[in-house]
Amino acid sequence: MFAVILLPNFRLQAALRFREEMDAQPVALIDQQKPKAGVLEISESAALAGVMPGQTSPQALARCARLTILSRSLGEERSARAALLEIAAALSPEIEATADGFCTANLRGLRVIDWQALGAGVVAGLASLRLHAQMGIGPNPDLAFLAARHARPVLVVQSPAAFLANLALHELDPAPELLALLCDWGIHNLAQITSLPRGDLVDRLGPEAGRLWERAAGQMERPLRIVRAAEEFSEAFDFEHEIDTAEPVLFLLRRFLDQLALRLGNACRVAGQMTLTLPLANGSAYERTFTVPSPTADVDVLFRILHTHLDGLRLDHCATGLRLVVTPTCAERQQFQLFETPLRDPNRFGETLGRLAALVGEENVGVVEALDTHRPDSIRLRAPRFHELGNAATPADDFAVGLPLRRYRPPVAAQVRVVKHQPVGLESAGVCGAIRAVLGPYRASGGWWESDRWSTEEWDVEMEEGGLYRLARVGREWRIEGSYDEPLPGSRRGAPALVAKPSTGV
Amino acid sequence: MGISEDTLHPPAYICEHAERVAQLRGLLAEKFPAIQPKPGGIFRTGLADVDTAEGGLRRAALTELSTASGAGALFIHAMLDTVHRERCFAALVDAARSFEPDCTAALARLLVVFCADAVQAVKATDLLLRDGNVSLIMLDLQAVPLRQLQRIPANTWHRLQRLAEQTTAAVVALTPQPMVEAAQVRITAGEGWMLAAQRRWRRDLIAAARWHVFARRSAGSLTAWKGERESAIA
Repeated sequence: MFAVILLPNFRLQAALRFREEMDAQPVALIDQQKPKAGVLEISESAALAGVMPGQTSPQALARCARLTILSRSLGEERSARAALLEIAAALSPEIEATADGFCTANLRGLRVIDWQALGAGVVAGLASLRLHAQMGIGPNPDLAFLAARHARPVLVVQSPAAFLANLALHELDPAPELLALLCDWGIHNLAQITSLPRGDLVDRLGPEAGRLWERAAGQMERPLRIVRAAEEFSEAFDFEHEIDTAEPVLFLLRRFLDQLALRLGNACRVAGQMTLTLPLANGSAYERTFTVPSPTADVDVLFRILHTHLDGLRLDHCATGLRLVVTPTCAERQQFQLFETPLRDPNRFGETLGRLAALVGEENVGVVEALDTHRPDSIRLRAPRFHELGNAATPADDFAVGLPLRRYRPPVAAQVRVVKHQPVGLESAGVCGAIRAVLGPYRASGGWWESDRWSTEEWDVEMEEGGLYRLARVGREWRIEGSYDEPLPGSRRGAPALVAKPSTGV
Repeated sequence: MGISEDTLHPPAYICEHAERVAQLRGLLAEKFPAIQPKPGGIFRTGLADVDTAEGGLRRAALTELSTASGAGALFIHAMLDTVHRERCFAALVDAARSFEPDCTAALARLLVVFCADAVQAVKATDLLLRDGNVSLIMLDLQAVPLRQLQRIPANTWHRLQRLAEQTTAAVVALTPQPMVEAAQVRITAGEGWMLAAQRRWRRDLIAAARWHVFARRSAGSLTAWKGERESAIA
C-alpha cells in the first residue's frame, strides 16, 4: 500500500501556521516577487466572499473589503514542508517529496490492521502542528493521490475499480486537447474510458491515451524518488511590519517551540542547540546560538533560555523576521555515581548564567582559564561546563606558596623610594609609608620575539604600618599590583583587632 | 574596629522583641508548614576551627566571614581545595574584581562572577541563590570601599538569608568588618600576617590560621551571639 499526505492550499497554510487569529478571516496569499501573478491561494471564507485565485489584489479587495492579503514566505513554507516530511518519515523510510504540500510514502511491509486509524493518527499529528491534511491510502501512488484528493480527512481505497468508476475524467489531469476530444466522444468518467479496449485507444489517440487508460484502471505503477527527511527543526516567520519590542518575538518563539517540541517528540529527539536569527531592517541579521546544557524538549526550559537572553538584548535596528533552528540530539541518559554531586538542574544553571551575563557582562562570568603566557594577570573567564566534568578525582594543587594575592584591577600607580636597589618607601593614592621588609625582586619577561614585548620586576613588601603588598616596576614606573593582607579599615598595627586574640604568629 | 561587649549582650527590650518574633514564626510555621525552612546540613570546610565549632559551614544559612583581606583570600583558597576534594561546585561573586587564581585544579569547579560594585554583587548572589545549583556561594566584599558597603540596606541581608533558607547552599559573605545582621554564623580571624608568610607553603598557612566562630543563640534572637561556641585555639 501507498499513502499520500496532502496539504491543500499548502502555501496559505504555511503562512497561517503562526497566525491563529486569522483562522476565521478571509485571507488571500500573494507572491511579492511576482506581483502580476495575482492571488495565489485563498481561505475558505475568502472563497465564500467571492475572491478567486488569479485575481489582482485590488480586484480581490473589491470583492471582499475585510480581506487580509498576506505575502508568501519561503521560510515558512520550508518549515511546513519539513514538518510534513518528518510526519511521513515516521510512517516509512521510503518517502517521496512529490510536490509542495504533497508527499507519498511506501507502506509495503507495514503490518497494519486498521488503515483508517493509521491515517487518522497522521492527520491528527499534522493538526497539532497546525497543518490541515488529507490522507489517501491505495495500492499504488496514483490511486493514493486520488484518494487523498477526495479524503475527508482519510480515505482508504480497498476496491480500486469501485473507487475509480465514479471519478470524473478531469481528475487525472489529462492534456486539455485529449480531455476535449474524449468529452466530445461522450466519455466523462473513468469507468467509461476503461470500458474501451486499451489497444484501440492507443491506436487512435496515441501513447498518452494509453497512460491515461492505465491510470483510469488503477494499474499505473511508478517508483518513488526517495528522499531523506533532513533533521533540521526550524521555524521562521516574516513580520508584516518592523518590530522594535521583544513581546511579539517572545510570543512567536513560544509558538515556535510548541511546534518544534512536538516535531522533536515525533522524531524521538531533544533539543541540543538552538540558533536564533533576527533579520534586521538594515539588511543585516542578529544571530545567536544557545547550547542547551542538558538537552531537552521541555518547552518551558527552552523558552526560558531564549527569554533570558532577549530580556537583556538591545539591537540598533528593528527586526523584520524571526527564525529559530533547533539542532536535535539524543536524550541524555546518565547514571550518577554514589558520591557525585552533579548540578541539580543544568538547564536552570544555564539560564542563571544568562541572567548573570546580562547583569555583569558576558566576559565577567565563567570559570577561570589561564592564557598561554607567563604575563601577570593573563586570565579570562569562559562559559562553565560543570555538567560535563568527570567524576575522576584529580590531585589538588598542593604546591602554592605564600598568601594569595588580591589583585588591583587596574594597578595603582605609586611613587617608590629606592635605596641600594631596594624599595624603602611607598607613596600612592591608598598606601603610604615606610617599607619595613621586602622580598624580591622577582623578574619576568616575555614576548621578546614579537611586538608585544613585556618585562616586569616584582617585589613583595611589608609596610611599617602593617599590610603586605606586591609592587611591580615596569620600565621606570612603579605600581601596586595588589595586596596580600591589608590592615582592617580604620585600624593600625597595635590597635585592637576585630576579636581580641593573639596573633597567628606567622 | 571590633565587637563590643554591649553588642554581645543586647538590652532587654531587644530580647523581648526577639521572643515575640520567635512566637510569630512559630505561629506561621504551624499555619503554613510548607514554608518551613528545610534543615540544610553542613558543608565541611576542612578548616579545623570551623569544623570543630559548627561541623562546617551551615547550609541554608548566611555566614559572615569578617576578617582582614589576607585571611579572606586565604579562606577562599581553602574553600577551593575543599570544593575540589568534595567534587562539588562553588561560586565566587567578586565585588572588586580582585580574585587572583594561582591554582588550577579546583578552578574548573568554581564559577567566578566579577562585579562592578557591591550592589551588582548582591544581585548576582541573589540570582545564584535562586538557582540553587551550587553548594557554596562566596560573596567577596572585602576589597570594596566601606562607604559603598554601608549603603547596602540591612533588609538586603535578611532577603539573602531568606533565600538561602530555601536552598541547600552554604552562603558566605566576606566583609572587612561585621555588618551582616542577618548572618547566622560569624567567623573572624586573628590579626594580620607578616612577610615571612610568603616563604611558607600555603597549606601550612591555612593550617596555621586561627578562626573564631560565633553562632546565633537561637532562631529568634537577633543580636545575641554564642560566645562560648568560639573555638579559637589560642
